[in-house]
Amino acid sequence: MVPEEITAILQVFLFPGFSFLFSLAFFVEWLDRKLVAKFQNRYGPLHVGPKGILQPFADFIKLLSKEDITPAMADRVPFIAMPLLMLTLAMTPLFCIPINGCSALVSFEGDLIVVMFIMTLIALLLFAGAWVSTNRFSTVGGIRAGLQMFGYEIPLNIVMIGPAIGAGSLSISEIIKWQSQGRWFIITQPLGFAILTICLLAHLQVVPFDIPEAETEIVSGWLVEFSGKKLALIRLARNFKLILAASLMTSLYMGGTSGLWQPNPLTYFIKLVVCVFILSNLRALFARFRIDQFLAGVWRYLTPLALLQISIVEVLAW
Amino acid sequence: MKTIKIPFGPQHPALEEPINFIFEVEEERVVNVKPRLGYIHRGIEKLAENRTYHQNVYLIERICGICSFAHTTCYTQAVEELLGIDIPERAKFIRTITAEMERVQNHYLWLGLTAKETGFETLFMYAWRDRETILEVLEMISGKRVNYGMNTIGGVRRDILETMTEQIEDKLSHLEDRAQYYKKICTKEQTILKRTVGVGILRPRDALSLCAVGPTLRASGIPRDVRADDPYAAYDEVPFKVVTYKRCDVASRILVRIDEILESINIIRYALENMPKGPIQVKVPQRVPKGEAVSQVEAPRGENIHYLKSDGSDKPVRLKVRAPTLANLPPLCKMLIDVNIADIPVVIAGIDPCIACAERVMLVDTKTKKRRIWSGDKLWRYSCEWYRKK
Repeated sequence: MVPEEITAILQVFLFPGFSFLFSLAFFVEWLDRKLVAKFQNRYGPLHVGPKGILQPFADFIKLLSKEDITPAMADRVPFIAMPLLMLTLAMTPLFCIPINGCSALVSFEGDLIVVMFIMTLIALLLFAGAWVSTNRFSTVGGIRAGLQMFGYEIPLNIVMIGPAIGAGSLSISEIIKWQSQGRWFIITQPLGFAILTICLLAHLQVVPFDIPEAETEIVSGWLVEFSGKKLALIRLARNFKLILAASLMTSLYMGGTSGLWQPNPLTYFIKLVVCVFILSNLRALFARFRIDQFLAGVWRYLTPLALLQISIVEVLAW
Repeated sequence: MKTIKIPFGPQHPALEEPINFIFEVEEERVVNVKPRLGYIHRGIEKLAENRTYHQNVYLIERICGICSFAHTTCYTQAVEELLGIDIPERAKFIRTITAEMERVQNHYLWLGLTAKETGFETLFMYAWRDRETILEVLEMISGKRVNYGMNTIGGVRRDILETMTEQIEDKLSHLEDRAQYYKKICTKEQTILKRTVGVGILRPRDALSLCAVGPTLRASGIPRDVRADDPYAAYDEVPFKVVTYKRCDVASRILVRIDEILESINIIRYALENMPKGPIQVKVPQRVPKGEAVSQVEAPRGENIHYLKSDGSDKPVRLKVRAPTLANLPPLCKMLIDVNIADIPVVIAGIDPCIACAERVMLVDTKTKKRRIWSGDKLWRYSCEWYRKK
């Protein structure tokens, strides 16, 4: 028998830990880029590796080798720390997501709250990062990021609590266990799933909600001053955010690792691909909203609908 | 309320060409805007004075990469007026057909760019994919995708053959279907409507007093079009209607252009059917008689004016180009007032700017920040003095 310590170390570093997550991050970026390219009648990544599957990794390496500039006016220490913090924060919640079997690496009662908290922290970090880089475009982008957070945060957290109430637990692993008999929350709370998807698009800052980094308006907004290694880390963090978003959709609403068979990583992977497909498809469908239109829409429609959904859940549970 | 100044350009992802705007912004509203040209001046007017009339045709073609045919038509018309010759009927029809094809490709290009400014990348990709169809047609006729080299003084250089007509018709019907589809999208799709309806208003009165031209003017409900008002080439023999929309915003600018695509396709069809037989060019002398001529052409972006002065030699004394973008800049500044920062790119894109065509010399005294516009005479005298001192 392999000692338990070694299994734990292997789990943290190999599967489903760092190595697996990094590969998954690059894979998810490739999938997203390829899908959007197909929707837009383009080829997408093509040359590095079969079907361009290694392109995101090549881009990452290339960015690492680029010149890394810290603007003279920027607040040095927070500016340099920001990408590192961002990557860490984007990666941490993934350890609470069950990938192998029914329970995650870090699983305790209330880990859903931790995930929510970290997602909010990421949004705040964007704002701080924009502020310390003291560029006019990044300031505008940072303010937009902050405003956008005020918009999508509340409905997002409400619909994440929906399944928790249904399953009677605040642990993601418990929620998956509850769904493992095929009682997926996407069937009982379809409205919640739709709202979660929209809010996650806003959290990921992709079209139609790429308002904080609108390239044609404010030159990629809050990340305009980040270059070289910092940009590479931020882009990697964005891939982790995409994995987290797709994982939350699968885990909370689609039964996560559980399926027809024993809970296994393959089921999780297939569902993850489906969720990335949904997100990428939506990304290719719309034009960008303006920040005031976004806020008005969120407060007028999304938040009341999210409240309605959770009220229905409450009534049914009672 | 304190305003902050936001620079926009000369390098900006929303701009294809360098131009600088300084926006004074109150919260997110633009209260004042100052445009500044001068980053891409190429001195084509001066160059034209050192070349013969025939060489100039190929230089003039390069004023603009997109509406190159409109510029050469304008120039050759001016030369032909000075020479006092009438070009063959068939050449007039071929000029009309090529000009309309150019309009179709320009409007598809513009639709894609505007979609990109609103963040709608998929529409951008689709519009540009469909633009390839008309570029293929142009390549079949002229051998080139842009800068066709079709015009020459006294007619056109290449004929449209019978064998091409069928292929052209195939591609035109495809383009027509696509244009109908984009019209449906641009009137139904909510995210596009949200970004374009009521944005960048230009009232008819302002449009007239600030001398807006082309689709920008027609989107303010004023039916003014050189093709109909002062027909050139074969436009007096081809029936078409001048498209106008009355909403005065970016949405109506989109619809004007999509409807113009459809209208252009009808013009091309009619002209192909009714094209008379005969020669496509006449021989012209090298030397042009003394005189002045002004020629107007409705380029895809609006009214294009060329002024030409000749002293009887084989080189022009003066060529003055008034590209449509220059006329549309003052209305643009009017449109930009009271616009949200997020809407600036789409409003600028709304006039279909082509900066390089519009560039003029302006001198800025760096110490006093004073700006002066110099006449050719003064510049010439200044350069003489400068060299004498050296």
